[in-house]
Amino acid sequence: MAHVSIPSYWKTLPQRYCLIGMKCKNCGTINFPARAICISCKQKTEFESKRLSGRGKIYSYTIIAAGSAPPEFSEQEKLTGSFPIAIVELEEGVRTVAQLTDYEPEDLKIEAEVEAVFRKIYEEDKIIRYGLKFRPVKKTKPPP
Amino acid sequence: MSIGILGYGVYIPRYRINRAEYIKAWGQFAAAGIEEKAVPGVDEDSITMAVEASRNALNHAKVDASKLNAVYFASTSSPYAEKLVSSTIAMALGASPRVSVADFTSSTMAGTSALLMGLDFVASGRGHFALITASDCPYADPGELIEHPFGAGAAAFVVGEGTPMATIEDSDSATIEAFGERFRKHGEKSVETLGIPSYTEALIIKTVTSSVKALLNKTGRKPSDFNFIVLPQFDGRLPSTIARMNGFEEAQLIPSMIVSQIGDAGTASPLIGLAKVLDEAKPGQRVLVASYGAGAGSDAVSINVNEEIVKRKGAVPSAKDYLADKKYIDYVYYLKIKKMI
Repeated sequence: MAHVSIPSYWKTLPQRYCLIGMKCKNCGTINFPARAICISCKQKTEFESKRLSGRGKIYSYTIIAAGSAPPEFSEQEKLTGSFPIAIVELEEGVRTVAQLTDYEPEDLKIEAEVEAVFRKIYEEDKIIRYGLKFRPVKKTKPPP
Repeated sequence: MSIGILGYGVYIPRYRINRAEYIKAWGQFAAAGIEEKAVPGVDEDSITMAVEASRNALNHAKVDASKLNAVYFASTSSPYAEKLVSSTIAMALGASPRVSVADFTSSTMAGTSALLMGLDFVASGRGHFALITASDCPYADPGELIEHPFGAGAAAFVVGEGTPMATIEDSDSATIEAFGERFRKHGEKSVETLGIPSYTEALIIKTVTSSVKALLNKTGRKPSDFNFIVLPQFDGRLPSTIARMNGFEEAQLIPSMIVSQIGDAGTASPLIGLAKVLDEAKPGQRVLVASYGAGAGSDAVSINVNEEIVKRKGAVPSAKDYLADKKYIDYVYYLKIKKMI
């Protein structure tokens, strides 16, 4: 990720804080993040906002090795060393990219069930940027 | 339709540091009755903990966030000294922009302050639903003994109109001018104490006893009329002393006790204790909750448990679930993630 200015980050808070996607009124496809033209029917139609559940599965993942993190994540990297990033396929069918958190190495598996949690993403210009990460679903806990 | 607690939830971060790690580093662990304490992860703070406790409370209450009219946040460890953070929580939950927000800060009694204000908000008819969350991870310099008991945790309550699982019968309060026991000046990061334990304890005992006695007098109830008493848990020993001095049995206190596993959770402490008690309370039972804030003040609240409590048992993760999911860290990693080194 490259530098995101405060106003740009602010504009996208609904998707970053609570997974607000846009449902195409023409074909019903959920677009996440929001787009001007529907990814499925390619029409410039009307959209209605739709909050996604935050439950999904790891579609794929990679480890950001120590030393290779973008500058805004260097503070985190200093504390934890390498950290995982996943493409998560949400139960509504859309895919999103986010960090995994509160995981054990054995949790990093394709198809593993994960859930969105609200966390600090990084701090820049003294402002804490919050957003969503995903963590493994504990079998002992009922769904949130 | 009546007004009361429609649902509640807690959150405890999964990282723990135990007594042995402190003893290895310092030769002692100045935290009576605490075996281990909860530590927020590198990407957590009082806001993120509050969001998860609040989501649990909303799911427990089956109230959609868009229906909330008030979102109140209580903490001594807000990441900002100035800037609302109840707004951050409201947005993360999906609350409407037309919501009353307030941050209750600068005292460990702010959790009950917010809970009572939230109740007054709905009882006065200014709104239908209020969410109150208390979330805390107090901070002090690692070289100070006051740091040893500091843990972390969050609780949240949804109050409003409906069929409450618990109703607030009444409350009473006490205040006394006091200083030097626990404080933090403007611009300081670390909580301080002048380190006179007998003075600190005497003030806590005196103030909490005053609010509890006032509530008993006002309601005409005796200690034995309550099935549970929940007290502020700064350590694992003082609550027993306060309970005993006020005529309560150990058996009334034990179900709320969680400090031995999470440490001092500041504003959240009495409310996590209340949530833990409600997890096992039966309809018709009664709970007394008391808070304490240095400086000093205390609220005492009498809560009646209703039939509805049975229906939502086990619907969301409980304190017990969060206690079971833990990962131990060593003292050096603790210093790193608390940004102490």
